Amino acid sequence: MPDFVAPTLDLHALAPEFVLAGVVCVLLLLDVVLLDRAKAIVGSIAGLGLLGSLVPILTLATSDHPTRTMFGGSYVVDSTSLLLKALFIVSAYVVVLLSTNYIGEGDYWESEYYTLLVSSVLGMTVMASARDLISIFVALELLSIPAYMLAAWSKRDGRSNEAGMKYYLMGVFASAILLYGMSLLYGWSGSTQLSEIGRAIGEKNSPAVTLGVVFVLVGFAFKVSAVPFHMWAPDTYEGAPTPVTAFLAVASKAAGFVALIQVIGQALVLRMNVMIPVVAVLAALSMTIGNLIALRQTNVIRMLAYSGIAQAGFMLAPFVASQYGGIDAIVIYLVLYAATNLGAFAVVMAIARRTRSAEISSFGGLFSYSPGLAVALSVFLASFVGIPPLGIWYGKLSVMRALIESQGRWATVLAIFVALNTAIAAYYYLNVAKTMWFDDAPEGESTPIKVPTSLRFAVGIALVATIALGVYPGPLTDAATPEATPAAAPSGR
Amino acid sequence: MIASLFAAQACAPSECFAVPANIAFGICALLMIGAAIKVVTETNIVHAALYLVVVLAGVGVNYLILQAEFLAVTQFLVYIGAIIVLFLFGIMLTRAPMGRSDDLDNAKLRPAGIGAAVMLLVVLGGALLSSFGETHLVFSTANSTTALSDAVFNQYLIPFEVVSVMLLAALIGAIVLARRD
Amino acid sequence: MLLNQFLLLAAILFSIGVYGVIVRRNGVLVLMSIELILNAVNINLVAFGANSGIAGQVFALFVIAVAAAEVGVGLAIVLLIYRNRRSVDIDQLDELKG
Repeated sequence: MPDFVAPTLDLHALAPEFVLAGVVCVLLLLDVVLLDRAKAIVGSIAGLGLLGSLVPILTLATSDHPTRTMFGGSYVVDSTSLLLKALFIVSAYVVVLLSTNYIGEGDYWESEYYTLLVSSVLGMTVMASARDLISIFVALELLSIPAYMLAAWSKRDGRSNEAGMKYYLMGVFASAILLYGMSLLYGWSGSTQLSEIGRAIGEKNSPAVTLGVVFVLVGFAFKVSAVPFHMWAPDTYEGAPTPVTAFLAVASKAAGFVALIQVIGQALVLRMNVMIPVVAVLAALSMTIGNLIALRQTNVIRMLAYSGIAQAGFMLAPFVASQYGGIDAIVIYLVLYAATNLGAFAVVMAIARRTRSAEISSFGGLFSYSPGLAVALSVFLASFVGIPPLGIWYGKLSVMRALIESQGRWATVLAIFVALNTAIAAYYYLNVAKTMWFDDAPEGESTPIKVPTSLRFAVGIALVATIALGVYPGPLTDAATPEATPAAAPSGR
Repeated sequence: MIASLFAAQACAPSECFAVPANIAFGICALLMIGAAIKVVTETNIVHAALYLVVVLAGVGVNYLILQAEFLAVTQFLVYIGAIIVLFLFGIMLTRAPMGRSDDLDNAKLRPAGIGAAVMLLVVLGGALLSSFGETHLVFSTANSTTALSDAVFNQYLIPFEVVSVMLLAALIGAIVLARRD
Repeated sequence: MLLNQFLLLAAILFSIGVYGVIVRRNGVLVLMSIELILNAVNINLVAFGANSGIAGQVFALFVIAVAAAEVGVGLAIVLLIYRNRRSVDIDQLDELKG
């Protein structure tokens, strides 16, 4: 019988995950040791812990071996995965800033809240490096299971319960469909590693592979709330506690896209004939239907949810141009979208603290009594529209460039869809801005809204990121473009 | 295909049991399909949970036929020992009616459900038959429990650790949500 | 033994599970239908694994662990809803609409 050989671990490459796991344990133990006194500090500890896990990411990014591979290629740390890990961690830090007042003032379980939040982020960071089906599935579950519970975290609020239940049932069903597809892909190729699967399904096609690819794409479509698998998203976003909604809309959705990037970029890239039609239809439907429903919304959170569905369509589109830098465009778009969306949520939360509602009409005349918030929200809305030089314009540019360069029939159709939908979206985004600048303030609203420091800080981070990355996207592009992806060189290896 | 299930093949070590194993499989499969249909149509919620036990036990027997003995044991311990008990607790704590109740199904969706299931079955069956037609099982792994443990603690170490954090998070969250406060 | 006999059994269980998810209204029963799908996946994985190495069994083991966590969380959410509204009928979850 062969003796067991212990695997060789690159501890430096795993350091960000170790720090996050440590933060999970510390948050749990704090509650046990300090009892009630823990309440005051858990938020700060969670925030500091998240920032602490950025340190090893920085040292890895500047080290001599930027690309590290473990377990025979199942776990890869390269510049793209480091960028994505940093994206998840910074997004979660902003969510912690959003939560500090909201969770502290409400009737919530605090240290458990932050424990679940950080463990979900741990799942996301693993996802960014996972290169085999088992790791991807397990990471997906680690990031979703805490999220199901956080959506229902407001225990006495029936709407929050309902949000959690809907999200849970849809998520679990989607995982089951996804798993069935994964089992078919594994069966055909005999390996769980994405690169091996890519090679096997590239050599020889079969109906089982086609079904496997379709099931996997449908499973992920639920996770990233693409039409027609989006039914849960608006209800969950409206019912869940607002910081959790921001987390789901930004980090959780980005993690779904990261999983898609791995699966499509590594494994399905040689089965484009199956993949392109499915993804193209999902993308076109998401953009158009998401935007058309967003037009009719009167509640800002629901509008952001439907516009998020439309934005998911923009981010799905470049997959049809995977070989022409489409994947890099998605990574760039994800980062810019995260900055803008988190900023928008932070401002909406600051306003909702006063008005107790997120109806668009309650934003009337905001500029007259709280000009700072009105300007910040206008910047984020303009970034959503894609007005240069604010954030998302560069993402839209990268998406269009990839679509046009690939010159495929589907890609050209999608490019037209992107252009048309950008115009539709401009209408409802700018409508909110118009309400803030030109409508009359409600009766008795004249004192400026007091914004707590943590929210101020969150808006500041999002504002700086949105403007800086829009004006000077160079470093972002460098990090998003890996040295040599299998997608760029399918003939290699 | 049916004929090849019962064909007396030359007796390679792993093939000696082919005929009895196929008979066991056939009985087991029929029981499982019947019980699975009862799980989704039964009007008594406790009976549905008990029919689920039959399906899960059948899956365990299938693992044994496939020479995955560790998984078979896990199936019985975790699924039947723990998950079914959880289901029964869930049913009792939500004071579900113990007898028949007619509001468990959405009658309007029944045709859609049957249509979707039949269509899926036809598509899946066709795809599987044409892709894996006459592939025989060869049982490549000699001692599967040893190989399984070696793989979990070497190649799949990271998913293993990730699962442990996931179970911890699920435990904490479930306690917070389910407790009375 | 043929690989396909296991795959077809799994396909039948999968289809029955999908039917259950579509038709059932009670939260606990929907969960049971999802368990049927997960078990179909596991039969697939172990049957494929018999020919191509141990990875299939490892995958199935992880699926069992994850299923246990999912059921625990699901029942906690069902209990929470039952406590607030005395019903676990998911068709009555309609406070959020749009």
